[in-house]
Amino acid sequence: MTAASVQMSGIVKKHGAVTALAGIDLEVRPGEFFSLLGPSGSGKTTTLRILAGLESVTEGRVLLSGKDVTNAEPGERDVAMVFQSYALYPHMTVSENISFPLRMIHEKKEEIENAVRDAAARVRIGHLLDRKPGQLSGGQQQRVALARAIVRKPALFLLDEPLSNLDAKLRLETRVELKRLQRALNVTAVYVTHDQEEALSLSDRLAVFMDGRIVQVGTPEEVFSKPATVDVAGFLGNPPMNLIPGGTEGFQSLKGPDVILGIRPSAVRIVDEGVHATVTMVEALGEEIYADLMVGELLVRARLREGERPAEKAQVRIHLDPTALHVFDKATGKRL
Amino acid sequence: MKARNLVLLAIAVLMMLVWTFPVLWGLVTSLKTEKDVLAYPPSVIFEPTLRNYADVFRGSQSIVPNLISSVIVSGLTTLLTMILAIPAAYALSRLDLPFRKGAGFYVLATQMLPPVGLVIPYFLILRRIGWTDTYQGLVLVYLTFALPFAIWLLVSYFEEIPREMEEAALLDRAGRWRALWHVILPQAKGGIAVTVIFVFLNSWNEFLFAVVLGGNNVRPVTVAMFNFISLEQTQWARLAAAAMAGMAPVIILGLMAQKHIVKGLTVGAVKGGGRR
Repeated sequence: MTAASVQMSGIVKKHGAVTALAGIDLEVRPGEFFSLLGPSGSGKTTTLRILAGLESVTEGRVLLSGKDVTNAEPGERDVAMVFQSYALYPHMTVSENISFPLRMIHEKKEEIENAVRDAAARVRIGHLLDRKPGQLSGGQQQRVALARAIVRKPALFLLDEPLSNLDAKLRLETRVELKRLQRALNVTAVYVTHDQEEALSLSDRLAVFMDGRIVQVGTPEEVFSKPATVDVAGFLGNPPMNLIPGGTEGFQSLKGPDVILGIRPSAVRIVDEGVHATVTMVEALGEEIYADLMVGELLVRARLREGERPAEKAQVRIHLDPTALHVFDKATGKRL
Repeated sequence: MKARNLVLLAIAVLMMLVWTFPVLWGLVTSLKTEKDVLAYPPSVIFEPTLRNYADVFRGSQSIVPNLISSVIVSGLTTLLTMILAIPAAYALSRLDLPFRKGAGFYVLATQMLPPVGLVIPYFLILRRIGWTDTYQGLVLVYLTFALPFAIWLLVSYFEEIPREMEEAALLDRAGRWRALWHVILPQAKGGIAVTVIFVFLNSWNEFLFAVVLGGNNVRPVTVAMFNFISLEQTQWARLAAAAMAGMAPVIILGLMAQKHIVKGLTVGAVKGGGRR
């Protein structure tokens, strides 16, 4: 199996009058784990389905390993996909599910058996081969879907929010396994998610989708530390960046009125001398504690340091770390 | 709790009786002599006889050729309906065809037409092409009713099956036809069984078109039963025996497919129900 490269150029997808994708240009390198990240309805799943051949394009071209597959059938593309719902065949056993892609190309029985055993072993479901999907837990079903995808050694692996139906703990475990599997198989993977933590932790690179467009492509570090637009800044990070209109009372000294300032909660400090703020809520998220602070009419969120625990309604003073400021153009929303 | 169960049981038995009484009465009648049948008040105690069955299966009044005729007409109608309806229903349920909605309504509209209004046009058409009193003629006419009904019924079953299932099959290089065969049909088998039963049942029980468009060559059992009723007399006992014999194949078919029918009828009642 050779890992595929992906090129999408000028992809437009319209459903009647609605534009789902407004010109997508994307390049995924061979062997890369590439995520499509964005809020619901931003076009990431449509992009993945176009890659799979399950949706046609209104305009544009799709190339897999240099070959134009824009109008090729899904089965002609050498891609495998794991669906959000897993889409296992309920009337077949696990073994029959996994062997299905090989049976469809009339592979030899012996080879099918070996391949099924190997794929099942890789995702540790070798003991479940005779069961039906209805008899499996969500996590096990997900592994069957993975095994079915890897059994035929595709050049491109498409994953549509495959972890979203798992509980939090299993999601973390499976995330690590997914990455290991992708590396071990040396396959290109395109991964759709709205979960930024997943995208940031799994991806070699990622594309951020907003309103049917890609607004930023880069490594997780690049995208997180230098968001290209104010929308990306507001989407990434948990909790997301504080966005302060330039010239807001208390922060006039920082920049002019034509900008939007972005600052992560971790760069907002409670200090002795600074801007007046009122604590409205203190929220503990596991190890981290966040405080909602009102500066005039503006809500600013701060990550508290150890030992800091102001009471609700307390008056405090805050300071924004100037080296951690992100500046965006107010009119265009672009990073300055 | 126990008293409540008893009441429920009584109600259930009563309802069952309403449904089964005519059949049971027919069965009893078929085992009587003509004299016992006509006895008034009706005799409950009588000497049962299989004579009527012997008469309807043998000799000049035998309905065996008519049973064969019914099997041919109903079997062919069912087979052809399913061969044509499955791909049609699949297409209607899956593809974004521009005329989809209109087609759905058309299919339903054909079920609303009173069949009696079509007898004469059908007769004229069949006579023109020389197909009256032929199997192909009657089957063709039955198809015009069975096909829309089967498509309409099957579409709802196909729509229950998630699209992702066959998208997965397409990515697994199955292609449309093999996706239908390996992935969709096995999951819709409850619905297919229900459709087969209904189509077979409707053609088997059909009388109006059979009597007008049939004849000496093609005379299904429903028409043949009519022979036991004449101006001079009605042979009630033989008629009952013929009715029992005519009912038997449908009942056997129903029992064989019972498991699927129950599953098929409850499809969609619970999320994911009926497919496993």
